[in-house]
Amino acid sequence: MLHIDVDQIAAWLAATDISELELRGPTSSVRLRKDSAGVVTIGDARPPAGPAGMTVTAPTVGIFLHRHPLHDTPLAPTGARVIAGQPLGLLQIGILLLPVPAPAPGIVAGMWAPHGAIVGFGTGLVELHPVAEQA
Amino acid sequence: MIEILSDSALTTVQDLGRTGALNWGVGISGAMDPLALAAGNLLLGNDAGDAAVEVQVFPFQVRFDDDCAFALTGADCAATLDDQKLLPWWSGKAAAGQILRLGLPTGSTWRGSRAYLCLAGGVDVPVVLGSRSTQMRGAFGGHEGRALRKGDRLRAGAPGAGLGMTGFGVVPPALAMPSDRDSLPAIRVLPAAEHARYTPASRTEFWTAAWKITPQSDRYGYRLAGPTLEPMAPIELRSHGIVPGVIQVPPGGQPIVQMRDAQPSGGYPKIGTVIEADLWRLGQAPIGSRFRFVECTWNEALAAREQTDQWLAELQRLARLHRLRQGAH
Repeated sequence: MLHIDVDQIAAWLAATDISELELRGPTSSVRLRKDSAGVVTIGDARPPAGPAGMTVTAPTVGIFLHRHPLHDTPLAPTGARVIAGQPLGLLQIGILLLPVPAPAPGIVAGMWAPHGAIVGFGTGLVELHPVAEQA
Repeated sequence: MIEILSDSALTTVQDLGRTGALNWGVGISGAMDPLALAAGNLLLGNDAGDAAVEVQVFPFQVRFDDDCAFALTGADCAATLDDQKLLPWWSGKAAAGQILRLGLPTGSTWRGSRAYLCLAGGVDVPVVLGSRSTQMRGAFGGHEGRALRKGDRLRAGAPGAGLGMTGFGVVPPALAMPSDRDSLPAIRVLPAAEHARYTPASRTEFWTAAWKITPQSDRYGYRLAGPTLEPMAPIELRSHGIVPGVIQVPPGGQPIVQMRDAQPSGGYPKIGTVIEADLWRLGQAPIGSRFRFVECTWNEALAAREQTDQWLAELQRLARLHRLRQGAH
């Protein structure tokens, strides 16, 4: 458990222009989100995963891209079968583009973050249903 | 080592060019898209001006004889390494025996016409008069002073370096620094010495027309098709020094833009000069495409060069940081 005073942090957050705050401990994590009216809500840091799902999270802060800026088609559309290491999307940091690789072979179940979304460290990006690697 | 597997008469080794030898009558040569060449090198941690392979005829294939880090920039050629798809403007690592294939340039957002294959440590060919660029007219520099042929083998300066620091890319400069005018690519131009000697109508047309790049266009120069440019009186000049970017108007009135392999002197009147910072845009413009000339001032030309320098400096900074992070893991 995280031993923190969430109410106190929520009050601090309400007084800032920060819209989202995530705290993560070894066993649990919490995310505070502030809406446009300044109301802070408390939720799970990670989006809920499907039965056998695996949420691929952002390794760093950046802009999440579903497709390369020169391309019209997504790198890993929903339903696509991917191999381990294959890019599921890209993170743009300034002018640099970093891949968001599939941690395991699987089928892309959906995108948590929209194309062009600014994401933080640990933000859920892609839902992957792992499957055994084909022989 | 890489071995060229394609017969493609126009593929050459280029760096940023042989500046400083014009006084001996030696042209500049160098990459038609110097930004792409520099960007590929910076992704690999090379010096921005290291030599690379400029590919302008597709498809094109090479085989890696050693494990080697590489970067592919410029035209998006739907490249593959064996059966693995590669992203454009991206670094990768090849294992010995793997084959890199470049297909035809594609793209709806931006379509280039020249691709650059950079290798870890740069393509290792001898430096001649301060540059590794192929000087076609003089038949020196680059690989044996000529275009690459099937079976040619090129050495990477540091094939084993940075193998674990690849797999990332950069937003292409055409997207990061767009330049358009009335829905066509805009190429910025400084009026040149004979500009004022053309009729007012021709001057207006020069700045407003959609100029088409004809098939008679190559690394030496781009012959354009558009309205006929008429001088107010015939202009006769002695031959004088010219540089890449100079827009000459031969007697037919259809301009020619001097490109990287331009000879260092000429006698046609000059209506303008493409600014240094925009030569890469023209270098990537496909044959048959149209663009506009946009008048710019000396200060705007310097500001544009500053912008491209800053883009490269930012890429160098971010790529270095990212490679350090990768190296630490």
